[in-house]
Amino acid sequence: MSKHHTTDNLDYPSDLNLQKPLFAVGIVALIASFVGYFLDHDQFFFSYLTSFSFYSSIALGALFFVMLQHLTRSHWSVVLRRIPESISANLPIWALFIIPVLLGMHSLYHWTHADALAHDPVLQGKEPYLNTTFFIIRQIIYFAVWGFLGWRMHRKSVEMDKTGDWGLQTLLRRTSGPGIFVFALTLAFASFDWLMSLDPHWYSTMFGVYFFAMAFQCLFAVLILVVVFFWKKGLLKNTLQKSHLYDLSVQLFGFTVFYAYIAFSQFLLIYYANIPEETVWFLERLNGGYEYLAYFYLFGRFIIPFIVLLPKKSKSNPAIASTIAGLILVSHLVELYWIVMPVLNPHGFHFSWMVITSFLGLGGIFFGLFFNTFSKERMIPVNDPKIEESLRKH
Amino acid sequence: MSTNYEYVPEPKLIKGDHTFGSITDLIAKTPLSSTPPLWYLAFAVANLLLIVLLGAVGYLIWDGIGIWGLNNPAGWGWAIINFVWWVGIGHAGTLISAILFLFRQGWRTAINRFAEAMTIFAVMCAGLFPAIHVGRIWVIYWVFPIPNQMGAWPNFSSPLLWDVFAVSTYFTVSLLFWYVGLVPDFATLRDKAKSKAAKISYGIAALGWTGSFRNWWNYEKAYMILAGLATPLVLSVHTIVSFDFAVSLIPGWHSTIFPPYFVAGAIYSGFAMVLTLMIIARKIYGIEDIMNIDIMEKMNLVMMVTGNLVAFAYLCEGFIAWYSGYIYEQGIFWLYVVGPYAWGFWILMFCNVITPQFLWSKSIRRNVTLTFIISIIVNIGMWFERFMISVASLSTDFMPSSWDYFSPTFWDIIIYIGTFGLFFTFFLLFLRFLPMVAIAEVKGVMPQADPHNYDEHTNEFIEAKAEPALAQQQKLEQKNQQV
Repeated sequence: MSKHHTTDNLDYPSDLNLQKPLFAVGIVALIASFVGYFLDHDQFFFSYLTSFSFYSSIALGALFFVMLQHLTRSHWSVVLRRIPESISANLPIWALFIIPVLLGMHSLYHWTHADALAHDPVLQGKEPYLNTTFFIIRQIIYFAVWGFLGWRMHRKSVEMDKTGDWGLQTLLRRTSGPGIFVFALTLAFASFDWLMSLDPHWYSTMFGVYFFAMAFQCLFAVLILVVVFFWKKGLLKNTLQKSHLYDLSVQLFGFTVFYAYIAFSQFLLIYYANIPEETVWFLERLNGGYEYLAYFYLFGRFIIPFIVLLPKKSKSNPAIASTIAGLILVSHLVELYWIVMPVLNPHGFHFSWMVITSFLGLGGIFFGLFFNTFSKERMIPVNDPKIEESLRKH
Repeated sequence: MSTNYEYVPEPKLIKGDHTFGSITDLIAKTPLSSTPPLWYLAFAVANLLLIVLLGAVGYLIWDGIGIWGLNNPAGWGWAIINFVWWVGIGHAGTLISAILFLFRQGWRTAINRFAEAMTIFAVMCAGLFPAIHVGRIWVIYWVFPIPNQMGAWPNFSSPLLWDVFAVSTYFTVSLLFWYVGLVPDFATLRDKAKSKAAKISYGIAALGWTGSFRNWWNYEKAYMILAGLATPLVLSVHTIVSFDFAVSLIPGWHSTIFPPYFVAGAIYSGFAMVLTLMIIARKIYGIEDIMNIDIMEKMNLVMMVTGNLVAFAYLCEGFIAWYSGYIYEQGIFWLYVVGPYAWGFWILMFCNVITPQFLWSKSIRRNVTLTFIISIIVNIGMWFERFMISVASLSTDFMPSSWDYFSPTFWDIIIYIGTFGLFFTFFLLFLRFLPMVAIAEVKGVMPQADPHNYDEHTNEFIEAKAEPALAQQQKLEQKNQQV
């Protein structure tokens, strides 16, 4: 135990059993979605992919965050590191949820259609990359890499709780270096596979960075919501302090700007050069009602958070920070919807209830897994060499 | 259970047994003592190169940009390469001074002053090229939107015009930021100076700084605001530089990843340049306790990360070029590898993709000689990156019938070399007359600045942990009690 005296109980309270209701919501909503499969299977798969990429982006953001904190040897984040660790620790299980996407490839990805391929020289050119077998192999590689990293970052950190062996800190740092390197590559290609290849003709070199920017922004939003939720439940009230929330908000603010920078650069360069093969992607998404989604997320994940989070006071105010975090997460879903759905309904916006059920379903499972992992260990890495600096933060 | 790994504690930022006083003496010594002969020698060489530059630019203005090796497909040559190269180098200074400040990275204090000076002089070198490459420099004021009787306005939708605003704003804010940081140190020099001339000139520069609480309070506010302003500016400058290329239709230029990729490349080359300069300066001026091996290792790590980001961007570009199915895009990347400039491509791959991988090794990161060599290789690589982008993409354009090989002339080369004269003239003046390390800021990261006078548990006074002044006071009190 550290020299610093925490007044909080560091064990997850046994009476706060959230995973059960979450799993229940998840399973019920997923079953409802599967009913939707028999009504409109294309709609089911597109809705599923939207939600799947939503939660995957959060898990990947968490994995990146944990590795980054080890690499930069940050103090400030040590007390809250167990939260993202517990999110990305479930990546090996989360890998199972790619299976419906693989089963729905024919609905989702135009390039899987043999007849389309036969008449399309562009798709024929991409066939060495865009083919069903290689797509599946790539998904296995991605999740093997992410699953291993997520599991290891959590496992070794928990081991440090128990053994107090500070050498694990070095081990984790050494894993993070190559880890982040491999992570960047796999994340970029996963975003090409999941989202960019929905429009198999369209391409943007920025797309991987764009997906990463969205993911990392949302991770901070999730962390803020979790921290504020814990406070509401009376957990870690004196351990996680206002200054930690402030730091999270600063990072959220910074990566909000980063996201806007990346998203705007991608848009501007395509808009400015005005090459039809590229602009068509935005053209479809700025017509037929989809433009309102774009306005929504423009305000929801950049303009409003930027203005509201600018003053110092709002960064450490739990109510304001968590409201903005919630808005950003909703905007993230809207933006993913805006990326995915025009492929299914190119002529105009069409809402389906399956988006909601798959979002709730996967969300229930995702956060159920998180609380399940989180509740099993101490809520902060108690034996981390830098825990004291992190606790003493003011 | 125990691992084979040892815990590596965070190293001390300042080596040696320094006190606040010894840090001041160490840094203030150089500007306040007489000029070393070696400095005169270096300054003479730099001046000679500067004169060469002025002569070459004079001839360029006299004769026109036809003296460069530009040809019909390759209408942009060394001028734009050198512009991007120098402005990229400048970026490290702002990253170190502003972004690392916002991230509360204490190690930046050892090098921020030094790197910011480099930024300002590098941006000056960079600014020269767009100005002279327009050909008719006497109407360069046309780039500014000045109301005039001809009704002629610059093209506001051109990124080249955005460059004018971005680079000039960036230069102004960097200069201000640098100056604000210098104010407390100017006051230190004013107070320590023996000669009247030095006292007066440092005194004027110090703006009446007294070191009072109110002074510091305003200073910290201003510094924070300027850091906040400089951060988006530094990103915007190289983003807009990348727009110069990426908004066009030229294969090899039109790529959406250009903005972050250019910024990463800029930081990569800038850190290399800071390392090159720092490794020489810390030896000559004997400030190895401050600009120490741990700082060098951290900089090497930043270089490794940004180098890999650049490599990642190459990979994305190459892959998407193939994936796009667009034959010109595929063609230009194929021509990079096997075309007339393949030699440039392989130099680039060696310098920017292979070289940073050596930095995975801790012993190389901590080896001064190897770091010096790597830092120079990186800067060569980043020059070739811009060469491949501008020259190689242009000279093999859409129609093979119009392809032409670009060769630089004597004037291309001499102007580039001449900019080193401009850079080093200013840099040597900086080393001679200004404190090259931010004295006040370095003190802020020393253990003495964060004293824990009392034990946390017993609440007993501990002399070893205490501030010297407080320790002395305590001793006096004890003596008085005994008496």
